[in-house]
Amino acid sequence: MNRAGSLAIWVGVAVVGAICWGMLALSRGETVNAAWLLFAALASYAIAYRFYARFIQRKVLETDDSRATPAERLNNGQDFEPMDRRVLFGHHFAAIAGAGPLVGPVLAAQMGYLPGTIWIIVGVILAGAVQDMTTLFFSMRRNGKTLGQMAREEIGPIGGVAALIAVLSIMVILLAVLALVVVNALAQSPWGTFSIAMTIPIALLMGVYLRFLRPGRVLEVSLIGVGLLILAIVGGGWISESSPYGPAWTFGANAVAIALIAYGFIASVLPVWVLLAPRDYLSTFMKVGTILLLAIGIALTLPAMEMPKATEFAFNGEGPVFAGALFPFVFITIACGALSGFHSLIASGTTPKLIQKESQIRFIGYGAMLMESFVAVMAIIAATTLDPGVYFAMNANPSLLGDTAQSASQAVNGFGFQVDPQTLTQTAQNVGEDSIIGRTGGAPTLAVGMAQIFSGVIGGTVLQAFWYHFAIMFEALFILTTVDAGTRVGRFMIQDLLGNVVPAFRNASWLPGNLVASGLIVAGWGYFLIAGVNDPLGGINQLFPLFGIANQLLAAVALTVGTTILIKMGKLRYAWVTALPLLWDAAVTLTASYQKIFSANPSLGFFAQRTEAQKSLQAGEVNDVMSALGAQSLEDVRQVMTNTTVDGVLSIIFAVAIIVVIADAARVWIGVMRSGARPEDLSEAPYEESRLDSDGREVETREPVGAGS
Amino acid sequence: MPNPLIAIWDYLKEISGENAYDKYLAIHTATHPDKSPMTRGEFYRARQDEKYANPGSRCP
Repeated sequence: MNRAGSLAIWVGVAVVGAICWGMLALSRGETVNAAWLLFAALASYAIAYRFYARFIQRKVLETDDSRATPAERLNNGQDFEPMDRRVLFGHHFAAIAGAGPLVGPVLAAQMGYLPGTIWIIVGVILAGAVQDMTTLFFSMRRNGKTLGQMAREEIGPIGGVAALIAVLSIMVILLAVLALVVVNALAQSPWGTFSIAMTIPIALLMGVYLRFLRPGRVLEVSLIGVGLLILAIVGGGWISESSPYGPAWTFGANAVAIALIAYGFIASVLPVWVLLAPRDYLSTFMKVGTILLLAIGIALTLPAMEMPKATEFAFNGEGPVFAGALFPFVFITIACGALSGFHSLIASGTTPKLIQKESQIRFIGYGAMLMESFVAVMAIIAATTLDPGVYFAMNANPSLLGDTAQSASQAVNGFGFQVDPQTLTQTAQNVGEDSIIGRTGGAPTLAVGMAQIFSGVIGGTVLQAFWYHFAIMFEALFILTTVDAGTRVGRFMIQDLLGNVVPAFRNASWLPGNLVASGLIVAGWGYFLIAGVNDPLGGINQLFPLFGIANQLLAAVALTVGTTILIKMGKLRYAWVTALPLLWDAAVTLTASYQKIFSANPSLGFFAQRTEAQKSLQAGEVNDVMSALGAQSLEDVRQVMTNTTVDGVLSIIFAVAIIVVIADAARVWIGVMRSGARPEDLSEAPYEESRLDSDGREVETREPVGAGS
Repeated sequence: MPNPLIAIWDYLKEISGENAYDKYLAIHTATHPDKSPMTRGEFYRARQDEKYANPGSRCP
């Protein structure tokens, strides 16, 4: 295409984007159609990918397609192997997109749709996708080293240890929070519990099929699996209505939590082909399919957003879903979809070993993250198209809402929104549940939103219950896959750590080591899960900010490593590309940690809560502050006492870890700036001429080695 | 023009690893014509065990 034509197209995209953003920001009073949000996002992504990502690729990182990637140099047909970029994009996207981009935006919707939307779109362009792409590049230049290894080599042992602590603790909190989301969706729901339980025999069947009956027939077995899943959802509907089975499949939150913990332990001990591998296929297909379905649903129905642009909770910090004001808590709550430290673990390690050509990091690193961000945008649309009253009745701390539609309606009025009890009962009935009150965690809210969107396309209210449980199934399915995989990763980390003391632990197939390490990691997240289920102040309310802080802490480690490497490469004048997101991320994380530790406001600060609990215990009765927060008995207060101590100490550990990493890196930066950057200090693998073209085919004539560009 | 449905099917086969054995067989016969290759079952079992020997982290 000629230059003028291309210019005209990009000016057009920019104008469309600007108009859509204008509609979102300037509309007054009347509801805004989701289409504006969709197109604002797509136009922004296109411009960012074409211009900013290209600038980073060409000027900052200077990718070099004549340089052989580790996949080419170390090709062993196993973990190192040049992979087609479209296929690798799919693998990378499947690994980074999980429940995170769906849950966070739903919780942040309590502040209205605009704060979350702006952060998702601006955050991904300037921070999240940059982190993923640069980490991918740096790891690729180092033969696929992990983030922890890079932190140790480029910063130093102290930064390395802090990074390791960050990874292990984020894993524990993450697994607990995700499991809590599932528990909240399945407690008192025979339909959901039955259909999720059925995924275990389905996975077993698929595992045996794939390993022994028809090895490697992945597509075939996935189709069978998805078919059986649909049957399980339909079957759940029958079960929930039949008299002996419905009550038999109805479990309280604690029972579901214990079942999940037992499942996590067993799945971690068993060989992968039994549960994990088949679940992986199943959840990947369900994930991609459902995301596509959601996109089609939104595009066809173009719902209007019922939630205000920004609620008062954005400013007064008194939101019932989680406490704290817009800054910093929107940026903590929405991690995946905008900036997620977890991605740096995937962008280092697995993916960089499979890249064919250096320039493909833009498509795979930046591109896949834009796609994940788009998923987050769809989640915020699904949540904000709900009636705000219904939204708050589902997401506020359950002990404030009470047990009946009447009490929940009153509580919602107290938050400044209206919903009549009939609407709540009717909504629950439409989706085939007894009650939707206090179903915190984001997943059920998203499922109601998705059910309304899907049933707008196919089936009407008749199929709403099916679509609701379809959405719950797909969220629970990939949360459980993450729990499964995460427990195993944690188990390997612990076995590696214990291996320093007792070498036998290093052997992954040594059964006692397997049992002990699995037990330890499961006990870790199981503790937080049980504490969250029984937390009088609301488990999601208390734990989600911790999870967000831990995730953004990991992002700070990745961005610090990136900045350090850029400075060492002699790219000081471009170091802002990772340094500015780092500055922002550090400001957000440290402010959030500061408020969680030092705030005197008992709805926000862990230690302020603890002080009130202590006062209550000394007085021998539940005081006003405690009961306003949701504690009803002295037993509750004692629980608050324990939980806030643990949560508060964890907040301190996270804050200290982030300060240590950045301070240690700053020492390295200053040293390099004083002595001047010497590229030979970089631990990059040496240059080798590539013999592949951009489609991975061998080039005929071979140029002399060392003719670098 | 290639049929889009066939293109999608090929992409799915590629991304799911369904055609990995065929590729292995082609390379094996080209490079070690003297040795007998693994059977389909052996190949996939070995591949699965390898892949999960170090289970990658997944994003939440």
